[in-house]
Amino acid sequence: MQPVVQNNKGTSQVTTVTGKAEARRRLQPGRSGGLRKIWEHRADYAYVLPAIAVMLIVIAYPIYYTIELSFFKTPPGLQLRDKSFIGFDNYTAILTSEVFWKVTLNTLIWTIASTFFSFVLGFAAALALHREFVGRGVLRAILIIPWVISAVAASYIWKWIYHSDFGIIGAVLVGLGLADRPPNFIDNVSTVLPSLIVVNIWREFPFAMIMMMAGLQTVPDQLLRAAEVDGANAWQRFWHVTFPHLSNVSTVTILLLAVANFNSFIIPWIMTGGGPSNASHIWITHIYELAFGRQRWGVASAYSVLLFLMLMMLGYFYVRALAGNERKEGGA
Amino acid sequence: MTRITLGGAVLRGTVATALMASLMSGSALGAPPVDLSKWSPEYVRSIAGTQDFDTAADCGKVTPLDYKGRLTFWYQGVFEGDPDLLRQYYKDFFETFRKTYPNIQLEDQALTYNDLLDKFRTALLGNAAPMAVRLQILGGTEFASKGYLEPLKPEDVGYSTEDFWPGAMKAVTWDGVTYGIPTNNETMAFIWNADIFKRAGLDPDKAPATWDDVVKYSKQIHDKLGIAGYGLVARKNAGNTPYRFMPQLWAYGGGVFDEATANPTYEQVELNTPQSKAALQASYDMYVRDKSVPVSALTNQQADNQPLFVAGQLGMMISHPSDYNVMLDLQKKATGADKDKAQTVIDNMRYGLIPTGPDGKRAVVFGGSNIHILKPEYVEGGKVDEPAAKAIICMWTSPEWSLKMAYAGSNPGNLNGFKTKWMKERLDNIKFLDVTTSMLPYGIPFPALPQSPEIMNIIVPDMLQNALTGAMTVDQAADDAAKKVKDLMGGL
Repeated sequence: MQPVVQNNKGTSQVTTVTGKAEARRRLQPGRSGGLRKIWEHRADYAYVLPAIAVMLIVIAYPIYYTIELSFFKTPPGLQLRDKSFIGFDNYTAILTSEVFWKVTLNTLIWTIASTFFSFVLGFAAALALHREFVGRGVLRAILIIPWVISAVAASYIWKWIYHSDFGIIGAVLVGLGLADRPPNFIDNVSTVLPSLIVVNIWREFPFAMIMMMAGLQTVPDQLLRAAEVDGANAWQRFWHVTFPHLSNVSTVTILLLAVANFNSFIIPWIMTGGGPSNASHIWITHIYELAFGRQRWGVASAYSVLLFLMLMMLGYFYVRALAGNERKEGGA
Repeated sequence: MTRITLGGAVLRGTVATALMASLMSGSALGAPPVDLSKWSPEYVRSIAGTQDFDTAADCGKVTPLDYKGRLTFWYQGVFEGDPDLLRQYYKDFFETFRKTYPNIQLEDQALTYNDLLDKFRTALLGNAAPMAVRLQILGGTEFASKGYLEPLKPEDVGYSTEDFWPGAMKAVTWDGVTYGIPTNNETMAFIWNADIFKRAGLDPDKAPATWDDVVKYSKQIHDKLGIAGYGLVARKNAGNTPYRFMPQLWAYGGGVFDEATANPTYEQVELNTPQSKAALQASYDMYVRDKSVPVSALTNQQADNQPLFVAGQLGMMISHPSDYNVMLDLQKKATGADKDKAQTVIDNMRYGLIPTGPDGKRAVVFGGSNIHILKPEYVEGGKVDEPAAKAIICMWTSPEWSLKMAYAGSNPGNLNGFKTKWMKERLDNIKFLDVTTSMLPYGIPFPALPQSPEIMNIIVPDMLQNALTGAMTVDQAADDAAKKVKDLMGGL
């Protein structure tokens, strides 16, 4: 780790003698060519080389192969090696199919609703737990449980909670005389997706809570006290002092949640398998069914490429948000 | 008391004869070790325990018992809906194999019915398949037609083709070549709770005679007792769904193709014929119109119906003979008042033949599993230890183990299994076995086509879900499914 902290004005604060020399050299990039820079940093490259090699094997090649496969027809009755080149036909077929738009709408609803509510709930929990009160530690541990337990186990538990004949929720409602028969949560095309989103929010909000709790630690106490002295009420202190300090961590949390939700598989697959009548299929479950259930490897690859592009976009914003954070921290 | 008109039912007219002929119309009709034309519970009892077999000695002739090798093997194993008894037999099998062939290093992996196909297909794409695999009956033709499997016939492991059900041999034959050996074959039966029938005002000892009766009985049970009448199952990607809907479809005279005829050609898609639509309408009537079946049918499978049945919350369902043992297992795990309630259900369990359609046609899926050897180029490491693979296949398909591994839930693939002492013991121990073996002549194999897994695991359940959720009308759902099958057969 270099002992140099670069601020947003391009100058550096240096704490050691060797660090000073390094900082001077860094501030004069025009004096050395690209190859010389690489040579000077050869040790750094050597450190990251194994990781890059592994990534090339396990990430770059599959991405390349998926893109290649997306241009081929892969009839389910033939081996994959018997594929035939069809250009963009798979993409055309996807974009003109009704299922694609239905699944895309489901995916958007799933991602936006899950991300939004997980964040809001997590943020609220973080604010509540940021204050000192008896039992705070225990409560914090309890609230983290949904995030810690296996998604597979959680899916099975919720499947029984929701069970349309013998679910706990249904039994309570019927027992209290609030319903004649148990509500139909996951066997109904209208209610299945919202029901799965609730499970997803339950599982994800602790992540947002942890992130925001960490963010709250960075809000300067003296600023809050100064605002209080100036007569700011609780809402004003939150809105004008706390919230602005959390904007970076909020952005990162929302982007991470969005990426995770776009990539969700376990909860919808285990609880409903995308059903009933495809009402809870989101992109990943649909891709899985196309590839492994129906062996349409070409179409599934084309879907994956489209998903990849969307995730890359989200990734771009994530990196930008991180870079923004670093700049702000550097300038602080 | 169970009242089943077995003799009359078994010999029920030309329909059963045609189906029997279908099962017997294998490529190699020789002299089977049992007389299939005499098949009845009495005949099965008469041959049980009449012959002894020495499995180790027989398999030693195929692969010497001191053979040294290594075998990777995947199989469709026991799952949550199976009784504990079956788990024990699976454990015993692998222990016995390791003792019999101590120098074969066996790396076995059990997968559930619903997971095995996906995992196996993926492994094949990466040339990382096991050397041998035991697949559901649907899988044989799919992988044989794609060229993944080595030719393998019963003679290769010391048996004769005539030792196996001719209908089962069809499921492992592609383009005239045999690519596997059946391990077990089964037909299910109809189970009902006599106590529920009685309380609903139905004859407690009489199963519904037709599928129209099932719809009526289901409604009556639901209306009078407020519980589910019939255990409908319509989950996608679960083998349970076709095993329960296809008997209904065939009974009404429908089908995916003409698979219910004696000599199917699989040329004409029949999912949207009036008969097929009538079968779908019956499910619609129970689920949507009468609300007389579990609401959870769209996301549940048979394993979810079993607890409902033992809790006295479900009147009737299609299932294996093993469900009796499953209920016993569930009863043992129950506590307090639930234990007594479960015992009451068990005491009132009745098994009967699956109902007929409006024209008297009775049908059931001829199910089971097959065992195969992979071609070396698709196997991890590029090598197949054929003698080791044949050793385990010989043992699993032997009269002894094909019977024991199907002890509670199925029937031996090797017909000689019916002659063993274990069959005799099984007839005494497994209640209602008579009924499910009596259904064997009504068994119809799934279409022996590579597209069958997608049709049965995805398209047919999708059709049911589309109709039952109201996403489509019954007509639209049937037409949509027929189109999907046509597209699939057309290579789309």
